[in-house]
Amino acid sequence: MTAEIGQAAIFLSVLSCLWAIAFLSVGLRMRNPNAIQSGRNAVLATFILISISTGALIYGFLTDDFSMRYVVEVSSAAQPLFYKITALWGRMSGSLLFWLWILTVVGAIVVWQGRQRNEETHDTLADHALIPIVVVQLFFTILVTGLIEGIYNPLARFPNGQVAADGQGMNPLLQTPLMAIHPPTLYVGWISLTVPFAFAVGALTSGRVGSEWILRTRRWTLFSWIILTLGIALGGNWAYKELGWGGYWAWDPVENASFMPWLLGTAYLHSVMIQEKRNMLKLWNILLITLAFQFTLLGTFITRSGIITSVHAFAQSDIGPYFLGFILASTGGVIGLVIYRWKRLKSANQLESLLSRESAFVLNNWLLVGLTLIILWGTLWPVISEALNGEKSSVPESFFNKVVIIPGILLLFLTGAGPIISWRKITTNNFRRLFAFPLLMGLAGGALTWGLLELIGDTLPQSLVLCSFAVAFLVDDALTWGFRALMDFPLYSVLCSFAAVFVCVAIFAEFYRGARLRAKRQETSFFNGLNLLIQRNKRRYGGYIIHIGIVILYIGIMGSKGYFQLESRSMTFGESMEVGKYQLTMRDSFQKDYANYRRTAVVFDVAKDGKQIGSMEPARHFYYRVGQGDQDTVESAIRHFGLNDLYVAIGNIPPNFKAGGFVNVQAYHNPLIRVVWIGIAVMVLGGIVAIAEKSDRSRDP
Amino acid sequence: MKKQNRFKIVAASIMLLGGMVFLVVAMTRSTSMRHFTPALLVADGSSADKQRVQVDGLIAAGSSKWDAANFVLTFAIQDRETDATVNVLYKDQLKPDNFTDGGSVFVEGEYVASQNLVVATKLMTKCASKYDGAESAVPTDETSYNSSE
Repeated sequence: MTAEIGQAAIFLSVLSCLWAIAFLSVGLRMRNPNAIQSGRNAVLATFILISISTGALIYGFLTDDFSMRYVVEVSSAAQPLFYKITALWGRMSGSLLFWLWILTVVGAIVVWQGRQRNEETHDTLADHALIPIVVVQLFFTILVTGLIEGIYNPLARFPNGQVAADGQGMNPLLQTPLMAIHPPTLYVGWISLTVPFAFAVGALTSGRVGSEWILRTRRWTLFSWIILTLGIALGGNWAYKELGWGGYWAWDPVENASFMPWLLGTAYLHSVMIQEKRNMLKLWNILLITLAFQFTLLGTFITRSGIITSVHAFAQSDIGPYFLGFILASTGGVIGLVIYRWKRLKSANQLESLLSRESAFVLNNWLLVGLTLIILWGTLWPVISEALNGEKSSVPESFFNKVVIIPGILLLFLTGAGPIISWRKITTNNFRRLFAFPLLMGLAGGALTWGLLELIGDTLPQSLVLCSFAVAFLVDDALTWGFRALMDFPLYSVLCSFAAVFVCVAIFAEFYRGARLRAKRQETSFFNGLNLLIQRNKRRYGGYIIHIGIVILYIGIMGSKGYFQLESRSMTFGESMEVGKYQLTMRDSFQKDYANYRRTAVVFDVAKDGKQIGSMEPARHFYYRVGQGDQDTVESAIRHFGLNDLYVAIGNIPPNFKAGGFVNVQAYHNPLIRVVWIGIAVMVLGGIVAIAEKSDRSRDP
Repeated sequence: MKKQNRFKIVAASIMLLGGMVFLVVAMTRSTSMRHFTPALLVADGSSADKQRVQVDGLIAAGSSKWDAANFVLTFAIQDRETDATVNVLYKDQLKPDNFTDGGSVFVEGEYVASQNLVVATKLMTKCASKYDGAESAVPTDETSYNSSE
C-alpha cells in the first residue's frame, strides 16, 4: 500500500509543480500577493509530496518488499540496514527520486528564506527565482513518474503481482561507508548550484540585474563549492582504497562530469567579485552560472546516456535525450532572457590594464572555463571524432594529464598573484612591495627542487635536455621532440614548486601584514590580531586559506602522480620483493568468514632499508550473495609512512598457496599522497571560514 | 592610451586562446586511439598495426589462460556478431573482477597485426546484472563495469 501512496504522491507533485509555476508567474505579473503566496505554498506541497514518496521507497527497503522492482534490484534481505537505506541512490530511478527530493528541500528553503525577508521588504526576487527551481523540479518529477520510456517509477511493483524471493543486492564495491556518502554529497553540491542559477534567471525576469542576486546566493554557491570539493575528494579516496589500482583520479568520464561543474563554480565564485567591486562582467556572470548549472545536468547526460564507456557502474538508458532536450531548452530560455535584458547588462567599467587584479580575475576565468572545455572535449572525443571522420576514437588518461598541466600551473601562480596585485593597474610600488620577495622565494624554491631532483638522479643530465629542447625547434618533428624533452626535464615539478613557494609566501605575507597592523592598532598580540583580521573579513581570508589548500593539493598531486613507483611481481610463499626503499616478504595467509563475505588475506612483513617495521595484509573478499554471482573483489592494504603511502594489492590466492602456488602482487610507493587529502581538507576549512560571512553584505569597499 | 590597452588585451586573449587550442589539437592528434570491434580489426588490421587501439567485445569461451607464475593473462576477444577474434595479452596487471567466459570486455593497448594481438595496458570487464529464479524475465536497466589499470 505504501508504494501506491508514494506513486500517487509523485503524480500529485506534477500538479503542485504546475500550480506553483502558474500562480507564481501570474501573481508576479499581476502583483497579486495572494497568488504569489499560493505559488509558494505549492512549492512547500511538492516538498511534502516528494518526501512521502521517498519515505515510501525507504519503507520498501526496510520491510524487504520484494514485490517492488527497485527494491529487488538494489537491496536484499541480508543487506545491512545502513546499506538498505543508501540503496535509495543505488541505481538510476532511485537516484532521480533522491535528486528530486533534495531539489524540493532546496525549494522549501528558498521559500522559507524568502518569507523571512519578504515580511520586511516585500521583495519578489526570491519568488522570481522559485519559478526556474520549480521548472527543474517538474522535469525530474516527470522523469520519475514512470510514464517516460526507459525509466521506471522507483516505487513500481512487478506486473501481475510477482514477488521475488530475495533481492539482488548492491554491488559489494559500493558497500563501504565512503561510497554510501559519496553520491549524495555530489548530488547536494550539484543541486545547490540550482539556486544561484535560478536567482540569475530571476534577476533577468524581474529586471533587477544588479549584484543583488549574486550577494543573496553567495552562500549557496560557496556551500555548493564546499560540498562538491568534499564529494569529489570522497570519490577519489574511495577509488584509492577500494579499486586496487593505487590511484585516485583517472579522468574517467564520470570523474570529469563531477569535476567540470566544480571548475565552473570556482570560476563563478571569482568573477562575481569583479561585478561586486567594479560593476563589470554582469553578462558573463549570468552566462557562467547558467553554464555551471547546465554542466551538472550534462554530467548526468554523459554518464547515463551510454554515449561514453565509463568505468563506473552506470548503464545505457534512454534518459539521454530528455536531459539533452532539457539542457538545450533551458539554455535557450536563458539566452532569450539575456537578449531581452541586453541593455541593462552592459558593463559600467572596462579593463584598464593587462596587469591588474581585474585582469588576473579574467585570466583565472578564462583558464577555468578553458580547462572545462578541454576536459569536455576529451570526454566527448568519442562522439566528436565519430562526427568528424566517421571513426570512433577516444583519448587516454595521458591526454588529460598533458593538456591540463600548463593551464593548471598558470592557475596555481594566479592563486598567489591574484590576491596581491593592485586593482586597475599594477604600480611599481605594488610590485616592489608585494611581488618582489615572494617571486624571489619562488625562484629559490624552484631551484631547490631542481637541485634535489638532480641529486636523486631520476632525470637526464640537464645540459643534454636543454640542448635537445633547443634543437627540437630546428628539426621537422619539433613538436614531439619538444614534448619529449619536456617530459624528461622536471620542468613541471620545478615550475610547480616555484609557483607553490611564490603563492605561499605571497599569501602568508598578506596574513602577516594584516595581522601585525591589526595587532598594532588594537594594541594586542599578533595572534589576536590575526584572529581579528580573519573575523573582520571572513570571505577574503577564507579565500586565502583555500588558496593555501590548493598549493598543498598541487604538491600532493605533483608527488603522487609524478613520482610514484609501481612493482608488479608473481610471488610464492616466503619470497620477497622491493618497491622503493621497502621490502615486502610474504609470510602467511589466512581466511576469515564475515556475515556476507569471506576474507582471504596474505600477510607481508614490511622492512625499510632492511629494518623490520611491521606487516601489511592485502586481501580478497568473496561476497556470497550478490546478483552477479559470487564476486571476488580486491581489498588493498595501505600503510602510511609520514606523508607517503605503501600500497599493496593482490590477485587471486590459489588453494596451493603454501605449497608454492603463485600470488600476483602489485605494490606502489605513492609519495606525498597524503598531502592531497590534507590540501583538500584545508580547502574545505577555508570554504567554511568564507561561508561564515553574512550572505548579503560585501565587506570590502 | 585606451585604444592601445584594448589592443594589448585582445592580443593577449588571442594568444592564450590560440595556445590552448593548439595544445588540445596537438595532444588529441598524438594520443587519440581508434575504437574497433574484433571483426573490424581483423579485416582492417594492417591500418592499425603498431597503433594504440581500443577493442570492445566478448571474452571468447574457453580462451582465457591465467598464468599466475608469469603474471600474464591471455585470452581472445570475440566479436559480438561474427566469429572474428583478436588475441589479448595483459601482463603484470591484476585480473579484473568479473572476468568470466562470455562476459563483455573492453581493452586498450597496442595492436600487433602480424600476430593479431593486442598488448593491453587497460582492461575493463562489464558484467550484465542477472536475476535469480522467477524474475529472470524482468529487464534490468543497468549493467556494471569493473576496471583495473
